Amino acid sequence: MFLQRHDQIVSGIDWSRSSNKIVTVSHDRNSYVWTQEGQDWVPTLVILKLNRAALCVHWSPKENKFAVGSGAKSVSICYYEQENNWWISKVIRKKHESSVTSVAWHPNNIHLATTSTDGKCRVFSTIIKGVDTRGPQAGASVDWKFGEQIAQLDLSPTWAFGVRWSPSGKTLAYAGHSSMIYFVDDVEGSPAAQNLALRDLPLRDILFVSEKMAIGVGFDCNPLIFAADETGLWSFVRYLDERKVTPSTSKASQLSEALGKLYGQSRQGSSSDTVEPSKPRGGAHENCITCIVPLRKGSESIVKRFSTSGLDGKIVVWDLENHITIPK
Amino acid sequence: GKSLTACSEPSSLAPQPGSVGDRGRRPSPLCEPPPRSNQKTQHCLALLVAGEMSSAAYLDTDENLEALISRIEQKSRKIETLLKQSKPVEALKTALEGSPLKTRDERCKSANWIVVHRAMMAIRDIDGMFNSLDTEYYDILMKYLYRGLSTGDRPTCDQCLKIHEKLTERAGLGCILRSLADTVNTVFVVDKSIVAYLQLVWLVAS
Repeated sequence: MFLQRHDQIVSGIDWSRSSNKIVTVSHDRNSYVWTQEGQDWVPTLVILKLNRAALCVHWSPKENKFAVGSGAKSVSICYYEQENNWWISKVIRKKHESSVTSVAWHPNNIHLATTSTDGKCRVFSTIIKGVDTRGPQAGASVDWKFGEQIAQLDLSPTWAFGVRWSPSGKTLAYAGHSSMIYFVDDVEGSPAAQNLALRDLPLRDILFVSEKMAIGVGFDCNPLIFAADETGLWSFVRYLDERKVTPSTSKASQLSEALGKLYGQSRQGSSSDTVEPSKPRGGAHENCITCIVPLRKGSESIVKRFSTSGLDGKIVVWDLENHITIPK
Repeated sequence: GKSLTACSEPSSLAPQPGSVGDRGRRPSPLCEPPPRSNQKTQHCLALLVAGEMSSAAYLDTDENLEALISRIEQKSRKIETLLKQSKPVEALKTALEGSPLKTRDERCKSANWIVVHRAMMAIRDIDGMFNSLDTEYYDILMKYLYRGLSTGDRPTCDQCLKIHEKLTERAGLGCILRSLADTVNTVFVVDKSIVAYLQLVWLVAS
C-alpha cells in the first residue's frame, strides 16, 4: 500500500502510537498528516511556509505537536487548531546557521533538541499557549517563551546528527560527523558532556534502549552498543551484528597500498595489482544505516526490539531479548 | 541560555571494552598552553568577554605568539637531548604535546611541524613506538601525518606512510575522519589537508 501525495523525496516520517496518525515531510517543502479512515489513509496538508526542503519530523510525546527540521535553517512546530480543523505551524527561525538535521522531544513535551550541519546541538522551548499551558505540569518550563534557546552545545567541529533524549530526559546524546558521539547530562542546568571518539565510521542516528544503554547506527552498517556504568560514564560495548567484518582492519592495508601507489612506492609483499573497492561484508545491512526506530509493546519502558533502515533499501528488525542484558 | 563549547582536543579513545570518557580523566598533556597572563593579555581578555574581540584574535596577540614560539624552541632543545639519549618515542611525545592547534599563526604552526617532523623521522621501530604511545596522541599524530604527506618530500612521505598504516590499524578509520573533519584544531593554516582529502576521495571512488 502506498500513500501518495508528495512529489519529491519523503525525508521524514513518524507514526504516533496513541492517536494513530502518520506525519510525513518531504523535499517538496510540504508536510502531510495522515489519518486512518477504514482501510484508507487520508492526508491533510500542513502549511510549513518553507522555501527549502523539510528534512526530519517527530511527534511530541503527547502527540499534540510535531517538529519539522528544514534546510531553511529553521524548525517548524505544528499543532492542531480545533476551531478551524487544521494544523498551524510556528517557526523558530533564529539561531540555526545551517540545515537542521534532526529533532528530538524531551519527555516534558516542551523542550526540543535539534542538531544542525553547523555542528551545534541546541535545546529550545516550544511552549504554545492553549496547547501546553493547560494542566498542572506547566511548572518551571513556563519561564521560557516559544522559540527561546535554552542551551547550545558546541562540541562538534563538524556536522551533527541524530539527537535523542534518554527516557527520563536527563541525558542527551548526538553524533558528530567526525566519528564522535556526545553524551550530555543535565543540559538545561549545568551541562556535563562526555565526548566518545569512535574507532570506525560516523553515526547517523541514535536510540536510547534504556536510561543506561543506547544504540548508534551509521556508516559502519552495523549497530553500535553504548552503555553507561553506575557512575554515569558512557563507553562503547560492541557491535550488535557479529557476522560483520569491521571496516578498519580490512581497509587499513588497502588504504596504505593505494597511498603507496600514489607516491610511486613499491611495496614488498603486497599481492594485488589493483585496489579492490572495499565493501562491507556479511551482516544484515550492506550500506549506511540512516534511521533507527523503537518497536514498543504496550507501555514497556525498555526497548527490546527496534528496526533500522538504510541506504541499501533494507529494513531490519533487531531483537535484543536473548542477546544482551539491558541495564535499566 | 547555557552554552557548552569544546575547549580542548576531543580525547582520542580507541574504543575498547571498559574505555572511559572525559569525565574523571586527568588533564591531558596535549592540551594547548593557556595564554600568558600579563597586563596586555588581561586587557584583551576583557575585550574578548565583552564580545569586542574574537577568540582567534585573543589567542593570537603578540604576547601569546611570542610565548608559543619560545615554548616550541624549548621543546626543540628537549627533543635534541632525548634523541641523543636514543629516546625517539619520548621525543615524539614531547613534540606532540602542547601543539598550537587553535592559533591561526603560520609561524607557530610551521615551527611546531618542524619539531614534530624531526622527532618523527628519527623513529626506526614503528611497532615499538605504538607499544609505548598512549591512545590520546593518536588523533594529533594523524593530523601531522597528513601534513607530512602533503609536503611531497620523498623520505618524509615514506616515513609518514609507514606510520599511517600502523596508526590506522590501531586507531581505526575514525581517527582519519577526525583529522580531516576538524577545522578548529588544525596543524595547517591554509587548509592543505584538502590535498589529502582529495586523495582519500580518489581512493574511495576507486
